[in-house]
Amino acid sequence: MRRRRTRGFVQVASATATERLRLNSFGHAYIAVGLLLGAILFYLVLAAQVTQASYDITHLQDQQRQLLAEQDQLRYQEVTMQAPATVEQQAAQTGMQRVPPAGYVASQPVAVDLEAPVGASPTDSTPLWERAVAALANKLGVSRDAMAATK
Amino acid sequence: MDLGLRYGAPKRSHGVPGRWRVLALVLTAALLAGVVWTRLAYWQVFEHAQLAAAAQAQYHELVELPAARGAIFDRNMKQLVVNTTVYSAFVSPDQIPDADRGRVAIALATVLGADAGKINQTLASSAKFAYIARRFSKDKADRLTKMLLPGVGLEQETQRAYLPGIANSSLAANLLGFVNYDGQGQYGIEGYYQKQLAGTPGYISSYRDLANREIVLGTHTHQDPVNGADVVLSLDADVQYQAEQALAAGVARDHAESGSVLIMDPNTGGIVAWADYPSYNANNFANTNPAAFLDNISSSVYEPGSTMKVVTLSGAINTGSITPDMVINDPGYLYVGGYRISDWDYRNHGNITYTYVLEHSLNVGAMKAMQAEGHSNFYNNLQGFGLTKPSGIDVAAEDTVAPPAAAQMADAQFATTAFGQGIDVNMVQMLSAVNVIANGGRYAPPHVVERIGTSLNPLLIAPQRQVISPAAAASMTAMMEQVVQNGSGFSSRVKGFEKDQAGKTGTSQIPVNGKYTLDVWASFVGFLPAQHPRFTMLVVIRKPHYPGSGQDWTLNDGYLTAAPIWQKIAQNMVVDWRITPDPK
Repeated sequence: MRRRRTRGFVQVASATATERLRLNSFGHAYIAVGLLLGAILFYLVLAAQVTQASYDITHLQDQQRQLLAEQDQLRYQEVTMQAPATVEQQAAQTGMQRVPPAGYVASQPVAVDLEAPVGASPTDSTPLWERAVAALANKLGVSRDAMAATK
Repeated sequence: MDLGLRYGAPKRSHGVPGRWRVLALVLTAALLAGVVWTRLAYWQVFEHAQLAAAAQAQYHELVELPAARGAIFDRNMKQLVVNTTVYSAFVSPDQIPDADRGRVAIALATVLGADAGKINQTLASSAKFAYIARRFSKDKADRLTKMLLPGVGLEQETQRAYLPGIANSSLAANLLGFVNYDGQGQYGIEGYYQKQLAGTPGYISSYRDLANREIVLGTHTHQDPVNGADVVLSLDADVQYQAEQALAAGVARDHAESGSVLIMDPNTGGIVAWADYPSYNANNFANTNPAAFLDNISSSVYEPGSTMKVVTLSGAINTGSITPDMVINDPGYLYVGGYRISDWDYRNHGNITYTYVLEHSLNVGAMKAMQAEGHSNFYNNLQGFGLTKPSGIDVAAEDTVAPPAAAQMADAQFATTAFGQGIDVNMVQMLSAVNVIANGGRYAPPHVVERIGTSLNPLLIAPQRQVISPAAAASMTAMMEQVVQNGSGFSSRVKGFEKDQAGKTGTSQIPVNGKYTLDVWASFVGFLPAQHPRFTMLVVIRKPHYPGSGQDWTLNDGYLTAAPIWQKIAQNMVVDWRITPDPK
């Protein structure tokens, strides 16, 4: 006796699903239209973002122009403040005056013989106690550099 | 009964067959279609270019990106000219509601300082566009922007701003020139270096949406502008200002028509100061008489007078025709070409040296020196010192009057040229000629610009031509020192440099309609320290009327009018530039 062959559950379910998913021609058209709409939507979103970015750029360019204008203004102020006429005017306002050129006093030339041999140094007549105090003060660091005061 | 009528089938016509009717219909349709197609072809093919252009004009925009004009600096990199942003306000009267008109007019008048009545008239007109104010500052523009006035717009523009000078003029106005509202440099440096300073504008091509907003990222092309090059001058702004001050005071004191000062670096030929008085304010060029734009230093000529004796005697020394100590007899006049030509004082000076000739500015001595070297050599010297052709200085509109060819010059003209009359030069030519002495006999080409962008001015590195020998230049320097110490140059003495400066006065009568008048060009030229000059300076005063000169025109001489101005400027330069006398 021939045994009847039966299909398993999985096979049956798969076949059913395939049957249900089998699309007719309208189904294909719906999918195509859907994809097309999706693509259009994507393009529109992208285009909107691009346009918005362009508006942002334009706005930033305006700001840049404003800042450059301010920079120009500041530079002009700076340059004008350093102009000789402005400096003189400000100096005059603070009471400063142009000093007349220094005069030169005519004097007899002094003969200095640089070739002459150097003689003996004069003896130091400073009292001993003063020299001791000076040496002590220098060691304590309170001495002044004489050159620093005669710039 | 047959009535001859047949049902169910059309009666055959004996006229036009049916298929012809169809054919006629098709042909008619084709004809109509052809008309439509032809019209379409006309618009789309033949008119394509125009329509495409019209469409482009609606949504496409080509915006010029202006190049920033180069700045101008002095030798110490102090900026002399600045680009500033200014604004212009315009209105579109048809976009301003009647109810807002009064408010808009008052706001504009208040902020811009314009006449409210005139603004009201403009707003009431049927104009689509009108400017209310041009080129005002950013502060005012900001205030207007905040007011949100309907129908009012702002236009942004760039404008050159020049530093303040003396009185109401701008610093070095005649040297720098200005830039007009079209961005074109006029006169001076701005005019001469227009191409380098202006740069090349770029552009951006973009689209606009329905709201007229720019879509930057659309299909567009973009070309960046190439900004103009910065220019560095040999000018010293501080010296320039002091020169302008001293000149203005001198012109006022001498009751002169005008005056000019030109200072040069002896070694390079670079111009240190270029002062004219009266001058103008380049920031307000639009409201300035164009006659004020004329620069008297390079754009007008004058007869140099006795400063020319420096050139004459130098050439004669160089050719060995004379020496500073050579003795000549000066009876006070000389007959040349049938003319009796006298010294300025009409005195018999007897036997004198050429050093004395220069000290006391004697015409007879200059003529004898010219005769000693000969016409040909003298003319060659004029050429060598650069007095027969334009100096070539890099400032717009240099004007010169070349002397006639040597063969066409009469004896008398050679004679008068020897002491600086009958020859026309501009101040740049004259200073460059005397500077040959200060520069050891070499001609330093005069120039104002040291660097353009990162490039050196080629004149700076070009070899300088030797005009006279260094020995001849040294001899002339010694003679010019004597002029200051013993002669007419005494009033130019700078404290501390009395024995270390060289100079020469010049005074020449101004010819009108072929006859000399009592009006003069008074001048003084010199350099300091004499042996190692730091600057060469020429001062020219036009038509001075020194007190008492009504009776004696020689009171308008250069030693009384030009030399004191020279002294004042030189004294300031000695301090500013820390110049010390040459060790003796």
